[in-house]
Amino acid sequence: MTVQKEYYEKPIIVRHTVGLTNKFGRNPASTPMKMIDGYQISKLIENFGSPLYVVSEATLKRKYKDLKRAFESRYPNVQISYSFKTNYLSGICAVLQNEGAFAEVVSIFEYEIAQRLNFKGDKIIFNGPDKSKSSLELAVANKSVINVDSFEEIYLLEEIAKERNEEIEIGVRLNMELNYPPWSRFGFNYENGQAYEAIKRAELNGLLKVVGLMVHAGTYVDDVQVYQKMALKYVEFYRIIHERLGITLKYLDIGGGFATINTLHQSWLPATQTCPGFDDYAEAICPILLNGITQLGVNPPKLFMEPGRALVDEAMHLITSVISTKRLSTGEKGIVVDAGINLLSSNQWYRYEMQVTQECGTMVENTNVYGNLCMNIDILRNAVPLPSLRRGDSIIIKNVGAYNFSQSLQFIQFRPAIVMIRFDGKVELIRKREDTNYLLQLESVPQDLKK
Amino acid sequence: MENYEINQRNFEEEFTISPNGFLFDHVSGLTYTLNKTGLFILRRIGEKKNASEIVMEITEKFEVSQERANVDFQEFLVQAKEFGVL
Repeated sequence: MTVQKEYYEKPIIVRHTVGLTNKFGRNPASTPMKMIDGYQISKLIENFGSPLYVVSEATLKRKYKDLKRAFESRYPNVQISYSFKTNYLSGICAVLQNEGAFAEVVSIFEYEIAQRLNFKGDKIIFNGPDKSKSSLELAVANKSVINVDSFEEIYLLEEIAKERNEEIEIGVRLNMELNYPPWSRFGFNYENGQAYEAIKRAELNGLLKVVGLMVHAGTYVDDVQVYQKMALKYVEFYRIIHERLGITLKYLDIGGGFATINTLHQSWLPATQTCPGFDDYAEAICPILLNGITQLGVNPPKLFMEPGRALVDEAMHLITSVISTKRLSTGEKGIVVDAGINLLSSNQWYRYEMQVTQECGTMVENTNVYGNLCMNIDILRNAVPLPSLRRGDSIIIKNVGAYNFSQSLQFIQFRPAIVMIRFDGKVELIRKREDTNYLLQLESVPQDLKK
Repeated sequence: MENYEINQRNFEEEFTISPNGFLFDHVSGLTYTLNKTGLFILRRIGEKKNASEIVMEITEKFEVSQERANVDFQEFLVQAKEFGVL
């Protein structure tokens, strides 16, 4: 007769330290997250390998609908325009396009992604500091929304207007004192009168017509008062250019910058407790704009917004597997996983939430999570409360949708596959894992050096 | 397998260990939590068993290979020494 042995847990001893109690009702760190949108994570790894980015179509749709409802219930004419640079995976852009989003692009590369996805020209907003003449010609021909960033762009657009023998409608990007650090390098300053001068200059020759204004407050702005300030300054500036220059606007663009539930390194409280909701942002912006503009005696212009992070951050996760475990000379616990910081650039800002995806026992120890790059700086996060893990176990790094893919670097390792869990529960590959042929296809070796 | 080298303390006098893994160090005043495997090991260290005996007993009681048990045992010792428990 064989004796049934007990389940083995790696032996652990944890010293108790005086600290803060968990008053936020979060799950214990040892609780595994086994599924995404009802799909087993272990199956995803089995079918698509590790590491793996996983996109949730349901979350994308939910975030879009929540944002739309928050603003449309407070302002009559709202249009969300998805900031491509946040994550320009075609699959993600297509989901948001189907929900009704416009494309907000800041380069010809992003413009061409939008074109390939069949965004109509007038549903593309062209922003950014680097617009070549040819890219502006394309945008003008397609009747895209163009927000000018500099006097040079005004001169280029005047040239194009002359060549086409037609007046071109433009928006003007402003920067204003809203928070710290100020985003003063984009557009024209409001406080020192530069923005007013730029609009006067743009309309000087009758070639350009200013029909819009654009401001972007910053990134991860979790103080809604910043947007209140923006709305007040917008109303005041509109009054000035309407009264003095006779300008009637077709749109106001409030940019993006809304915060998400990821916690910044310098924050003490978890962002799940501090991050404003879409209704808070909408309530800060819409009543001021609506009341202020109505008092000017003009119709409220269309309200463009350009969210990126707020739509995609929570809609994508990174699954990674343990390669080895370490006990450092300091006594600290470490694990090495098969994803590096080249796949998680935003870990310099965020204290990403990490969770096991399988039962690993209930004892938790602070663990340093190291990536698989052969570089000492490759630390995904220090002191993550995790249960004891073994080679082959996996963890999920949650809410990584913003900037991590679009800023990911090919470095040492291939970048992983990306799958989307569709709204109906099916899983589709939306980007293949890279391979050597793909990476070397643009290279060539000088003929005389070939062996 | 060589035996572990520790400056072994007097377990009976210096520690109180509860059956569910709560450890109180009377000398330092510090408290610890052990999981069931950690508790199993510490009790046997208290009984002055050597490394081979302890690893053997782990493999007899738990579903684990000798190699894995040995690696984990050594790691546990490092951590316990770092804390001053051993």
